[in-house]
Amino acid sequence: MNTPALLEGLRFVDTFFPSGGYAFSSGLEAAVQGGAVKTSDQLAKYVEDLLRGGMSRREVLAVKQANRAASKGLLKVSVQIDRALEATKLGRESRMASRQMGRQVIRVAADQMRAKSILNEYRDEVEADRAPGHLAVTFGLTMGSCGWNPEETAGAFLYQTAVGFISSAMRLSPIGQHEGQRILGEWLPLIERISREVDLDTAMSSWSPIQDIYAMRHGSLEWRLFRS
Amino acid sequence: MTMPTEQGQRKRPARKTGTSQPRTSSGTRTSVRKKKSPGRFATELVGRVGELKLTYTKLDHRTVISHSYFTTPWKLLPPIYLDDTGSAYTLLVNPSGGLVGGDHLSLDMTVEQHAHVLISAPSANRVYQTEGLVSEQHVTIAVEPGAILEWFPEHTIPFAGSRFRQSLRATVGPGATLFLWDALASGRIARGERWAFTDLENEILITTANGNSLLERYALDPATDLGVVGLAEEWDYVASFYIVNDALAPEVWTGLESTIAALLDTNPGAVLGGVSTPPVPGLAVKLLARTAPDLLAMMEALWAAAREAVLKLPPISLRKY
Repeated sequence: MNTPALLEGLRFVDTFFPSGGYAFSSGLEAAVQGGAVKTSDQLAKYVEDLLRGGMSRREVLAVKQANRAASKGLLKVSVQIDRALEATKLGRESRMASRQMGRQVIRVAADQMRAKSILNEYRDEVEADRAPGHLAVTFGLTMGSCGWNPEETAGAFLYQTAVGFISSAMRLSPIGQHEGQRILGEWLPLIERISREVDLDTAMSSWSPIQDIYAMRHGSLEWRLFRS
Repeated sequence: MTMPTEQGQRKRPARKTGTSQPRTSSGTRTSVRKKKSPGRFATELVGRVGELKLTYTKLDHRTVISHSYFTTPWKLLPPIYLDDTGSAYTLLVNPSGGLVGGDHLSLDMTVEQHAHVLISAPSANRVYQTEGLVSEQHVTIAVEPGAILEWFPEHTIPFAGSRFRQSLRATVGPGATLFLWDALASGRIARGERWAFTDLENEILITTANGNSLLERYALDPATDLGVVGLAEEWDYVASFYIVNDALAPEVWTGLESTIAALLDTNPGAVLGGVSTPPVPGLAVKLLARTAPDLLAMMEALWAAAREAVLKLPPISLRKY
């Protein structure tokens, strides 16, 4: 990857990017309140399990497929990936969080990379409610337009997700910054492996029943810091 | 066994076995198996490639089977009427006891307008160890406008070394109702056999009249990095319950969601569950349970709540236990 492409894409991975991700815990808040995640080891296992079983063949697959679609300018294929992902999002809060963050990404990307017609066309699809605008798809399209390949884009997506969990955990449990960095470092080999191993032509699937259940339970928590 | 036609006359059902050929609507005879594997139709596929086709029709005040077709190992019993609603209760019977490698069962069901059907099975769906071939079961369901289908099969038990592919694809017409229960056991738990299958894929696809879909698909392959069972290994049962209807007022769903959320918290430690609104009109429930009695008790409670809120009907006993 060349430096301009790296810098162009980094903006969308950085926590400074205004996707609104800080407002969502992806069910972690319910898991902490439910007692499933009390320690840093439990946090590490909980998120690893989600990345591997829940997101690898779903979000990561969508990221890689959307990245490939961007490089080929395939608008309809991108919409199909987005709709397939929408169908698998069984929980309301997770679905809406993904859509809200995804819409922010495509709006900024389309506005600032006007030469990339696929981004503008996709933003129009999202704004017209012809596409849900899930984060995995808009992120894949955007990073592909920046010149990142599918594996690099998948790695960036998972890294961003992992950082989001660490950030949420630091607000929900007694996990400090150094501990957070240690856990994040331990996840990197898994992130690399998932980014590489997910086959672009596999069927979309997901297995993370515990995390799915806690994500569903978030809406009925008595008190909440996060929106999911 | 006889059944009424649309004109109210009674005729023998369209029953076929593996050694005969189905007649098409044009009257010509076809042989799907011959096309797929010439010369292999004889005995080796009998009892291993089973088809069941059912059409339910509302006739006067009762739902009846207006068309049926099955090949072994499927068997079809006449519907049972458990109450005075006219709903037809059918047990899906596979007397072979389960699926072995290479078995391929299919079920194609149509619930015609305003018909009401309950489906269950007499026992768990066992999937036996295989030396390599996959066991498959594929279900296609059409719930036509205003019809009701309550689908509550017993759970699947994948034995150690088994390989299983299952799909259920349902279309739900305007104003139709689908209750769909799907449950998986970790294995033969009493033998200490848990999550020991070779691989397992399960797919549930529900599509409503506006074209929106709900898709649950998982692919477990414990020998691979991305296919492990993971944290769910601590539990012995995982289940999903979907309630779909595009004609109900939002407050019905809000009330039922609250009721179900409360029910899911009635057995903490033994059942962990969540409920939410999926991308189709209705509710999605996911749950984990420690034991079969815990699972069954929760299923009955959820089903009763859904019946009361959506159908305005009391709970019903399937008289199996």
